Amino acid sequence: MNQYWKYFLMLGCLGALVGIGFVSGPFVLYLATRIMILSIFALGYNLLLGRTGLLSFGHAAFFATGAYGLAITSIHISAHPLLGILIGVAAAALLSLCIGFFCVRHTEIYFAMLTLAFGMMVFALIWNLRSITGGDDGLYGISRTAISLGIVKIPIRNDYQFYFFVLFFFMVSVFLINRIYSSPFGLVLAGIRENHIRAEFSGLSVKAYRLGVFTVSGAFAGLAGSLSALLESNVAPFSAHWTHSAEPVLVSLIGGLQTFSGPVVGSVIFVALREVLQRFTYNWMLWFGVLLLAIIIGFRGGVVGSISEAFRRYSRP
Amino acid sequence: MGESLLDVRMLNKAFGTVVTAKDLNFSLYRGVITSIIGPNGAGKSTLINVLTGLLAADSGEIWFQGREVTNEPIHRRVKQGLGRSFQVVNVFGNLTLFENLAIPVLALKGRSKDMIKSIARLKEVGEHVEMVLTQVGLLDKAYMVARSLSHGDLRLLEVAIALAAKPRLLFLDEPTAGMNPVERSRILETIRQLSQTGEVTFVIVEHDMDIVFSLSDRVIALHKGKIIGDGSPEQIKMNPQVREVYLGEEVA
Repeated sequence: MNQYWKYFLMLGCLGALVGIGFVSGPFVLYLATRIMILSIFALGYNLLLGRTGLLSFGHAAFFATGAYGLAITSIHISAHPLLGILIGVAAAALLSLCIGFFCVRHTEIYFAMLTLAFGMMVFALIWNLRSITGGDDGLYGISRTAISLGIVKIPIRNDYQFYFFVLFFFMVSVFLINRIYSSPFGLVLAGIRENHIRAEFSGLSVKAYRLGVFTVSGAFAGLAGSLSALLESNVAPFSAHWTHSAEPVLVSLIGGLQTFSGPVVGSVIFVALREVLQRFTYNWMLWFGVLLLAIIIGFRGGVVGSISEAFRRYSRP
Repeated sequence: MGESLLDVRMLNKAFGTVVTAKDLNFSLYRGVITSIIGPNGAGKSTLINVLTGLLAADSGEIWFQGREVTNEPIHRRVKQGLGRSFQVVNVFGNLTLFENLAIPVLALKGRSKDMIKSIARLKEVGEHVEMVLTQVGLLDKAYMVARSLSHGDLRLLEVAIALAAKPRLLFLDEPTAGMNPVERSRILETIRQLSQTGEVTFVIVEHDMDIVFSLSDRVIALHKGKIIGDGSPEQIKMNPQVREVYLGEEVA
């Protein structure tokens, strides 16, 4: 696909997102907000999985760190949402740096199991530190106070205002992650995925780059977490549970690991499909599983991956 | 023999009872094309693996340009100018040739940590990559994906990735295996040129005796982890021990 098409598509999506913010009802608005938050989570995560080839099962821990970071800041220090997000993201980045330090020494299944183990430790901590995290109750009563920037105050209390607040962070994330994909750092990550020994023999410390991308993806997970805390106005310990770590994995797989927009498309499918199925059947998990299986097997390289492959073949016979 | 680039002292490496390096002592000199020969299992590839850091030595010291590198990780040795290519094609399969070479060039120029700037804007990187692609004759395929190349082109790319990191000392593990005569003469010509300008000192592991004797200034013969012959190609041809264990009928 050439550059113009890409920009055209991006502009179209942006137009649609802004349109949703103005015309849609509260339910669609809520779903769209959740899709954007999940997209931020998965876009960052796919830097690790699709780009670098590392499968982590512990990213819910960073998502929860962002959420609890914002909640604790909001309850105890200041309800300014930007400060909460800043602290949430910083805490998630710091935690992923520390956990990543131990995990990036290993690859493949050992890496996956280590991240899983650390993730479960974080969950257990959140569950047990009742005085700080509220234990199994979580924390609630997080208010969406207006963002005061000196003389200007931007309200985000109602759902439409908050939608545009999340849209702003979604766009910033898409922009930043897109830059990373076309940057030298991004190419090195792809090189590590393709052949980590050759990357080492190119004069690169593979471990340092793995740690770098682990931290970046942890920071984006933290951003997603703190936005979701604002959306739901509460945080629950199960956001740190390893089952939640599977979400960005599935979403990236559905959309396409080797594509930039895959995680976004995957998030749309994931959230929409679940909502629709829950309407029609009590056994929604069963049908959800069947459909996911069909998508993953049917679309090799993910939905975006296989469609753009077909597009390429069609345009160049 | 000139300035020594790499010094090996009392190097040992064994896998269980199989000894692949036994009390090795030798130096490699700037500008001297050296070939390492020996029968299969003589320890040639293992020696390269130990010298470049892929395997740890059991004991002994490795000094590169006056600094000990015995325990340095691979990427630090590469940064200091110790490069290698691989016997089996070992490239970044799903990336284009340009990207394959951009990875070592970015590392070389210290630009590999940049997360924001686009690669397309780094002119010096692009120019260096194109220079190396021209050197090995792959410039017209710069935007092809590596895994779609023919075997001979892959071998050229294999050497090109090693060259792109601007090594001072470069180990080539059977660089011409599987190449057609045109590709072979191109790669040998590139080696001669780079060697003459003194930019890169080559050490070659090779089975093809024509190449060994026509290209190298010095030949080291290994057998069971020991050096059994070390000298000019003529001296090696005459060395009775080498003839016995390795060259045998080939030179007779």
